[in-house]
Amino acid sequence: MKWYDRIATIDRRIIYVLLTVLVILPFFVKVTIPQKIMPQTQKLFDFIESIPPNDRAVMISFDYSPQTQPECHPMAKALLKHCFARDIPVIGLSFDPEAPGLAVDALVSVEREIDSLATRKEDSIVYGVDYVYLGWKSGRIAAQLDMGEAIAGVFPRDYYGNLIDSLPLMQNVKNYKDIAIVVILAAADYPIDWIRYPQTRYGVKVAAGLTAVMAPQYYPFLQTGQVSGLMSGMKGAAEYEKLVLEHGYACALGTAETGMNSQSMIHLLIMLFIILGNVGYFFARRAGKAPR
Amino acid sequence: MRVLTLLMFLAHCLPVPLSPCLIVSLSPRLPVSPSPGAPAVVSAFDRPNDAGSVIQLRWSLSPDDASIDGYAVLRRARDDTAYTKIGSTMRGVTVFEDEGVQDGVPYEYIVASLRDGAMFHSEPSAPAMSYPQFFHKGRINVLLCIVAFTLLLAYFVVKARTGKDLFIRKIAGLAAVEEAVGRATEMGKPILYVPGLGDIDWTATIASMNILGEVARKIARYDSALIVPNRWSVTYTVSKEVVKEAFVAEGSPDKFKEEYVRYVTEAQFGFAAAINGIMTREKPATNFFIGRFWAESLIMAETGAQTGAFQIAGTDSVLQLPFFVSACDYTLMGEELYAASAYLSREPVLLGSLKAQDYGKLAVLLVLFGISLTSFFGVNLLPVLRVQ
Amino acid sequence: MKRRLPLAICFIMGLVMIVQFFIPHPTSLAFSSVIYKWIIVLMAFALVLAIGNLIRHHGEKIRRRKEDWPYSIVTLAGMVAMAAIGLTWGIASDSLYQKIFLNVMAPLGGTMFALLAYYMASAAYRAFRARSLEATLLLVSAFIVMIGFMPFGQYLHPRFPAFAEWIMTVPNMASQRGILLGVAFGSIATALKIILGIERSWLGGKD
Repeated sequence: MKWYDRIATIDRRIIYVLLTVLVILPFFVKVTIPQKIMPQTQKLFDFIESIPPNDRAVMISFDYSPQTQPECHPMAKALLKHCFARDIPVIGLSFDPEAPGLAVDALVSVEREIDSLATRKEDSIVYGVDYVYLGWKSGRIAAQLDMGEAIAGVFPRDYYGNLIDSLPLMQNVKNYKDIAIVVILAAADYPIDWIRYPQTRYGVKVAAGLTAVMAPQYYPFLQTGQVSGLMSGMKGAAEYEKLVLEHGYACALGTAETGMNSQSMIHLLIMLFIILGNVGYFFARRAGKAPR
Repeated sequence: MRVLTLLMFLAHCLPVPLSPCLIVSLSPRLPVSPSPGAPAVVSAFDRPNDAGSVIQLRWSLSPDDASIDGYAVLRRARDDTAYTKIGSTMRGVTVFEDEGVQDGVPYEYIVASLRDGAMFHSEPSAPAMSYPQFFHKGRINVLLCIVAFTLLLAYFVVKARTGKDLFIRKIAGLAAVEEAVGRATEMGKPILYVPGLGDIDWTATIASMNILGEVARKIARYDSALIVPNRWSVTYTVSKEVVKEAFVAEGSPDKFKEEYVRYVTEAQFGFAAAINGIMTREKPATNFFIGRFWAESLIMAETGAQTGAFQIAGTDSVLQLPFFVSACDYTLMGEELYAASAYLSREPVLLGSLKAQDYGKLAVLLVLFGISLTSFFGVNLLPVLRVQ
Repeated sequence: MKRRLPLAICFIMGLVMIVQFFIPHPTSLAFSSVIYKWIIVLMAFALVLAIGNLIRHHGEKIRRRKEDWPYSIVTLAGMVAMAAIGLTWGIASDSLYQKIFLNVMAPLGGTMFALLAYYMASAAYRAFRARSLEATLLLVSAFIVMIGFMPFGQYLHPRFPAFAEWIMTVPNMASQRGILLGVAFGSIATALKIILGIERSWLGGKD
């Protein structure tokens, strides 16, 4: 077998081994590459910045599962830090049955982090006053539409079994009129439902945080203004973390920064293999072996 | 000062006004007047196209808008003697929606400029009443499109019923369905049909159910085995009925087995893991991936390719198409998925509906082209079309 | 009758839901709210049927000692255990349920998703060959996008991220819109065909 045939037909297991090594490497070798903030991430950040404190709430639909936790969880935490630091009430909910566990983890871990830094009682986060988690509901589209009339009609009780009407925050949040924006964090294209149904009918603003593989599907909606901001994959999460840190809403970066380094290494590896494959293909074709 | 005046003059002569910040930076600092002017014209009216209980207010800015704290909105019902404050806005705002009114009761409004807690009132508005509407005028464009498309559909369906031969181009992925089912029968192995990961409210899932009906009929004819795993409980119940009905329609209800259609899990990647398990353990001869797919598409299609199965995919998920194209033998792209049922059944009525689809698309393309062309010459037609 | 009744229900409900979209009156909104609640309840009931099927399928596999039947025990045991733990000790942030979810389910799920990176790398290596002018164009644009979206892309050339962004928002978006337009018409036609009873494959065919 000639050298060019060899590099054009590398065993996939070799690719797998190299990929594993390069994913793990950045966990031990810390490198920080300055991020350039993409306009769609900046747009979401600016929107949250424009919401007056203690006014309308931000609704976060936690619709990602453990599989996409590395990409979506840092987005959720950075967004929550931003909202809590600016005294913006947060209403959480889920339509993916696997999401509640992660939603609770994100909400509680951010709450504990802020509480550990709070010097006054007013600075700490209180469940039912600063945020509420409604839990999971079947019949996604019907539920989204019905919340336009009354959130309590769809979620009479929260995730922990409390009556919605008994929570102080929910006295001021009745339906989409009291929601400044809905941010959907997902690995599937759940945001399209929010655009098609509640946005068309009730005019609710929609933004999203999606896995990198899903995000390009929402570029057309970003351009038309139907999506008011977008975090795209690990990069979007790292950018939002950076914005939150730079504006003094957090003390340190989250986990997306390290993830970005692993991702960059994989991109480089994939590019290297594509080049090798093409060099092999080019020389094989010159030798008259490869089909044109 | 002369330079400043000249610049202000030039600013007025420019075809495009200078940005407000530039003008502000050129203006000398205005002294704050002792009592700010109130907003001039306050108009109140029922908010259109709603369920009632809302009155909209508009006013013109106070001449001292830059130096006030904001605006207060006061309301008086017909029987009230005094005005009550119902809300406030920031300065620079000229609209307000009063959402707590009673339908059929006339209300008058006053808008006041606020400075240091003091209010400087406008003249009262004319009385306004809210009431619910029976038709949403903002959606006339949608209604017209639905009616036009339904008429187009009806026209081609009627035309097809008269026996006119309608041409449909060859769709390689669908032409291979017969071969795929035959191959599985010859090999004595089952056929795996994954109806996507979308719930029944995705049109792609509904289209997939239509194709499943046709595929199941062929399977009933060929006497092959079928596996239909489902992610959602409702798609499970629907796909079970579809397969059962297909076997009944082919006159062999006894060949249908309950185990053909299975519910797996709602977990996205748990479902993908289960499909990979089925492919590696039961080694289906043919895999159909038809419906809505997300990031798991390549995991399933690549595993299927490794087991040596003949694979036909079909999805309207634009981002998953490249993955299916690289790992499957045939891929139905975008709207081909919606043409599949007509293609497989060859029913004239369904073929007629495809024709309507094509003409509808042509009409939209012409409209889009027209709007793009006019906007190229600086004419914006979107407000005329009431595009919201 | 067996065919006509579902077709009639489908037609009436489809038409009613289209009509109510154009009526903002409170009566119309109250009606649609009731329908939405029915859908939510209906979907919850379907879950009962689905779980019934899951138990029956795996129970049968265990009873008949079919190939790989021990996996079915794991499936059923996992389902029963998680439900029992959640119902007994609750689902709060520091509960056993949450601990199992975060420490067992999350890493297993993450592993499954990680497979995508391996498959993508091997598929990209096999498929991205400059066989023709179109394939070469695809290859070059993929490279630009990958480099542009990497943090160090901006250091290779300051315009790399902007160029990558342009590829995504202009040629990519234009082609996406083309496909979306066809898909939108396909979905509208499918919905109308089902409402009007033209499409009957879901009922087993034309008969």
